Formats: sequence, structure tokens, C-alpha cells
Amino acid sequence: MSRDVYVFAEQRDGELQKVGIELVGKARELADDLGQQVAAVLLGSGVKDKAQELIACGADKVVVVDDVMLKEYVTEPYTKALTAVINAKDPEIVLYGASSIGRDLAPRVSARIHTGLTADCTALEIDEETKLLMMTRPAFGGNIMATIVCEDFRPQMATVRPGVMKALESDASRSGEVEEFKVEFSAADMNVKVRETVKTAHKSVDITEAKILVSGGRGIGSADKFKMLEELADVMEGEVSSSRACVDSGWISADRQVGQTGKTVRPELYLACGISGAIQHAAGMENSEFIVAINRDEDAPIFDIADLGIVGDLNTIVPKLTEAVKAVKAK
Amino acid sequence: MDFALSKKHEMARTLFKEFAENEVKPLAQDVDETEQFPKETVQKMAKNGFLGIPIPKEYGGQGCDPLTYVMCVEELSKVCGTTGVIVSAHTSLCCDPIQTYGTEEQKKKYLPDLASGKKLGAFGLTEPGAGTDAQGQQTKAVLDGNEWVLNGSKCFITNGKEADVYIVIAVTGIIEKRGRKLKEISAFIVDKGTPGFSFGTKEKKMGIRGSSTYELIFEDCRIPKENLLGKQGKGFGIAMHTLDGGRIGIASQALGLAEGALEATIEYVKERKQFGRTIGQFQNTQFQLADMATKVEAAKLLVYKAAMAKATQKVYSVEAAMAKLYAAEVAMEVTTKAVQLHGGYGYIREYDVERMMRDAKITEIYEGTSEVQRMVISGNLLK
Repeated sequence: MSRDVYVFAEQRDGELQKVGIELVGKARELADDLGQQVAAVLLGSGVKDKAQELIACGADKVVVVDDVMLKEYVTEPYTKALTAVINAKDPEIVLYGASSIGRDLAPRVSARIHTGLTADCTALEIDEETKLLMMTRPAFGGNIMATIVCEDFRPQMATVRPGVMKALESDASRSGEVEEFKVEFSAADMNVKVRETVKTAHKSVDITEAKILVSGGRGIGSADKFKMLEELADVMEGEVSSSRACVDSGWISADRQVGQTGKTVRPELYLACGISGAIQHAAGMENSEFIVAINRDEDAPIFDIADLGIVGDLNTIVPKLTEAVKAVKAK
Repeated sequence: MDFALSKKHEMARTLFKEFAENEVKPLAQDVDETEQFPKETVQKMAKNGFLGIPIPKEYGGQGCDPLTYVMCVEELSKVCGTTGVIVSAHTSLCCDPIQTYGTEEQKKKYLPDLASGKKLGAFGLTEPGAGTDAQGQQTKAVLDGNEWVLNGSKCFITNGKEADVYIVIAVTGIIEKRGRKLKEISAFIVDKGTPGFSFGTKEKKMGIRGSSTYELIFEDCRIPKENLLGKQGKGFGIAMHTLDGGRIGIASQALGLAEGALEATIEYVKERKQFGRTIGQFQNTQFQLADMATKVEAAKLLVYKAAMAKATQKVYSVEAAMAKLYAAEVAMEVTTKAVQLHGGYGYIREYDVERMMRDAKITEIYEGTSEVQRMVISGNLLK
């Protein structure tokens, strides 16, 4: 009889990744609905001491596979280890972060143990009657929300994008057990040789690829004000874009221009700062998921398309917003 | 009814024609190629009084009738569409509203310098969101003590940055009319150099490339209270009436372009030989030219009639709309055919007709698109 909600707690260089902690929080909720327990699976080398952190964030149990083979993520050893854990424990549900590692690992595991996997879920809940996991994900470029169930096979598996679920407050008084799980590896399991790992500093991406855009218009007043927008974009891990007016004034390069004669963007969040919102600009961004407009003129057309509008001076609002985002991130 | 021009008009035309041939034509290709505003030509035109033709003598103008002014724009446009529109925008869109709606103080203050060409004029109505729907203005003017404070922007403004005096249309409030909220629109005179008034983008255009087309930007631009032109709330009417006159100017520009292209084509087909004959000896060429010339003549009569209407009638919207609509469409058709009759050479920038074709297209668009002209005409028919 399958039991418990398992979370693959991803670590990189021995550091727990946020998405794993977020998923432990979500798993807590799902497990409570089922009257079951939450277990985190931690794979790595010399990472045992991180188990307590997962317990503090809501796990009842942490299964640690500590082996030098698992020092760096390589598909085969990780798949082998996780498959072994799942075969031994028979969980009801397994959740993964939809990071590059999670997206690589989860389909391998699902094929190996022959069960279903839903990728990039945005909502997970337990159906009251059937007790099945209802996995909801956007399909067709976000135009359809598909809710998928895995009726006949166990575990029910899903990957979830980072930032979708909310982590629980870390509570050091929580207790749980840490179990060391042995997996027998052979040299043949290391079928990929990692030559080197390269970390590049964050460098700007094409604005059409950015998930968050902080965009400045003529209302920002001068070229140096883009620093203020860049600070906000940096804390939000977004990019800076602009209206044609700023490009024409030579405040920013033309590859940042959004609009009919610039680029068409569809970020998840578009912050329009000091942009009046003429159709020539709106045509390039009106399909953004969520539009926030900051403008001192309450009649500005941008407010007709904004999901959230702030009438006021962006010189005051933007720095405050940067501080507020920083504060949230620090938690 | 007399279709012959008076002696005075004939003399004026000769003057314009000579100036165009000697001063404007030699520069036309270069002005187009470099997209340079022909500053020196404008100074020469000022010396010759071309920038104050219909302005009364008491305000330093030439005191001529609208027809004289029309012929000036027409002759200039025969050789250079850019130069034609500079005069048209200055005269029809800036001088005319000041002359029609200005107070005595405003007329005394602005008209002499505009008429002498010491200062150049422009007109700011269009905005990114308010083109044909000119009511959709976003630029605001708020009275603060003794000053109006302007905020907003205008786009595609002819003579932008080069001009010293701008007629600017802005929203001064909201009025209730039969339960509907409407914008109250007013007109203002704004001087270049006023703090808070700057220029944005210079547009890169298909044609009339030497004409300086700019964005105007107003950021807390404060102008004296007395720079309100006409009555507060009458700005929309002022703008529309100004455009009625402007349309006659553009109709003249279109007419000039068509005439210039036709003349160049007649010259060309007499010289160019194929199959042992000049191409003018082929009946296709002859019939094409016949059609072109007939349409040009029809356009000319409409344009001149509109000019006469402006001289003698209070309302001349329909005459102006018909003249502009027809002349612009004729200009487009005639210049296109002129390129065709030049063959491959017509597509080369060394020949003038390709420039005329590029210049012609805008005449169907600015100062009210052809669609707007049809709205004006049919609206009047179905009153």
C-alpha cells in the first residue's frame, strides 16, 4: 500500500535549493489532507547535516543517500539512487522542482518505475473523494489549464516550477527522523564524465526571454534613472526594457525597445514605469501575464491595460519597491 | 466665370517659378538624400516674402490672396515636395490661426516675425493616440495662477525643432454634454525655448525627407496665460478650421508634385527611343499622358476653386476636402505612372520621378487622410 508524500530535495554544491524547501511546504499540506507523512529525499556527498533544515521546514523524515558518486548531479547515479528509494519505500506521491536537474531526473525515474509524471505544475491538490493528486499545469502556451490525474500507477509524480509553492517558516523545534539509505553503485553507473562546471555571472538576456521586465518610459526623465530600474530588475531577477522615447533620447540601447517598432514581449510581469501607454508601445507588451503601471498621470492610457496601477512619482515608488522586494527575498 | 489668371497672379507665378527652378531644384536631390532641412532656401524664401503671402500688410505680410499662396506652394512642389510643405505648414497651420483667432496683441507680437520669415511656424495637434480621432487628445494644459502648465507630447510635427512658434492643442478640462463627458480642448501659442518644451524623435520618412518631422515634448512647460489662442474650450474648432485651410496648402503640394512628374515625363518620352522611335510615339504612352494631364487639370481647378472659396467664403471645408482628396490621389497615380513611363531609369534616384512618387504618398495621409476627406464631404452631403 503506497504511503506518504516524498520530495526530491535538490542540492547544489551542498546547498539546499529553495524549490525543494518550497515543495516540502506544499507536501506538508498534501500529506495532511491524506493523513500521511512528508519525507524528503536528499542525494549528495557529505550533505547529511542539511537534513535538519528540511525537518525544520516541514519534513517528518529525511532519507539521505550519501555517496561520493552523488557529489555532482549526473543523470544515471541520481536516477539509480532515487529509483532505489522509491522501490523500497513505495511512496504515494513524489514531487520535484522543475529546475534543469528536476526536469532531467523526473522523466528518467518515471520511465524506470513505470508511472505517470506531470511537468511544470502550477497547482496541486488532493481530490476529496478519490484522494488522487490533482495536478494542474498550463498547456498550449498558457491558453489551457489542464488538470491531470494518475489513477492506476504509483507514485503519482509532478515537477513544479520554483517560486510557485510557498515554503513554510523554518521551525527548529520540529522533529523528525533522518534515515541513511545505502545504494550499491558500480563504476559503470558513472556513464557521464563531468569535465567542468562553469558558473557565469548573471548577464543580461534578450528581453523577449525575460520573465520579468522593468520598463522605463519618458517619465523617468533621464538616462541615469535607468540605474534605479536596474536595481529593481536585479532584485526581481528580471531585465530592463524601455519605450521608444528613451531609445530615441539615447538613454538605452535599441535592443531594449518594446513596441511596434521594437520587440514584442510576453513576460510574466511587466512593470511600466513612466510609460504613457500609447498603442505603439502597448502593442508590444499588452499580452504580458501581469502588468503593473506606475505613472503620475491618472489619465494615462497605460492604466487601461494595467492589472495594477499606481498613480504617483516613480522616483519614490521604484526605490521603495526595490526595498520591499529585498525584504521579502531575505525571508 | 473667368478661368484666366489676373496679371498680378501671372507675375507672382513667374516669380515663384523662377525661384523654384534656380534655387530649389538644384538642391532637391541632395535635400532628399541627406534628409537635411533646407535652411538656406528658407532664408531666401523669407527674403522674397514667400513666408507671409496671405498675411495682411499691416502685420508685415504681402497681403495677397489665398490663390497666390497656393501657386507658391504648387511651384515649389513641382521641383521639391519638401520645400512646398515647409511653406504650407508655416503659412496655413501657424500664421493662419493666429491671424484668424488671435487677439490684437497676439497678432502684433507674432505675425510680423512669422510673415518676414524671421521666425518659422508649426502646428501641434497629432498625438500617438490621436491621429484621425483628434478628439483623443492626452496632452493637458492646467491653469496655475498666471500660467498654463502643459504636459504631454505631440508627434509627426512638420517644421518641428526648426520652427520658433507652435500652435499646440491641449485638453483643458472635462465638460458634460447631454450627460456625456467630453474633453474640453483649447489652443495655445508656445514659443521654442520655453522651459519644459523639448523635441524628441526625428522621424525617418519615406518621402519629403528634408522636411523636419519631430516629436514635441511638454514636461511641466509653463506658458503665459495670454498665450491661449481663441476662447478656452474652442480649440477643437480652431484646429479643424485651421486644417480646412491647411488642406488647400497640401492640395497645392500634391498638384505641384503631379505637375512636376508629368512635365518630367513629357520631356523624357520625347527623347527616349526604343524600336527606332521615341516612346512618345507609342499610343500607350500618348493615352497615359492624356489621362495624366486631364486629371492634373481637374485637380488644379478644384485646388484653385478651394483657394477662391477661402478668399470669399466663411466656410470652405468641403471645397478644401475635395481639392485635397482628389489632388492627393491624382498625385499618387500620376507619379506612379511617371515612374513607369521612365522604365528602369524611373526607379533610379538620379531621376526625379521616384522622389516625387515617394513624396506624393504623404499627401494622401497628412492634414487628414483621404478617408477623413471623404468623411467631411459625405457628412456634408448627408446633413
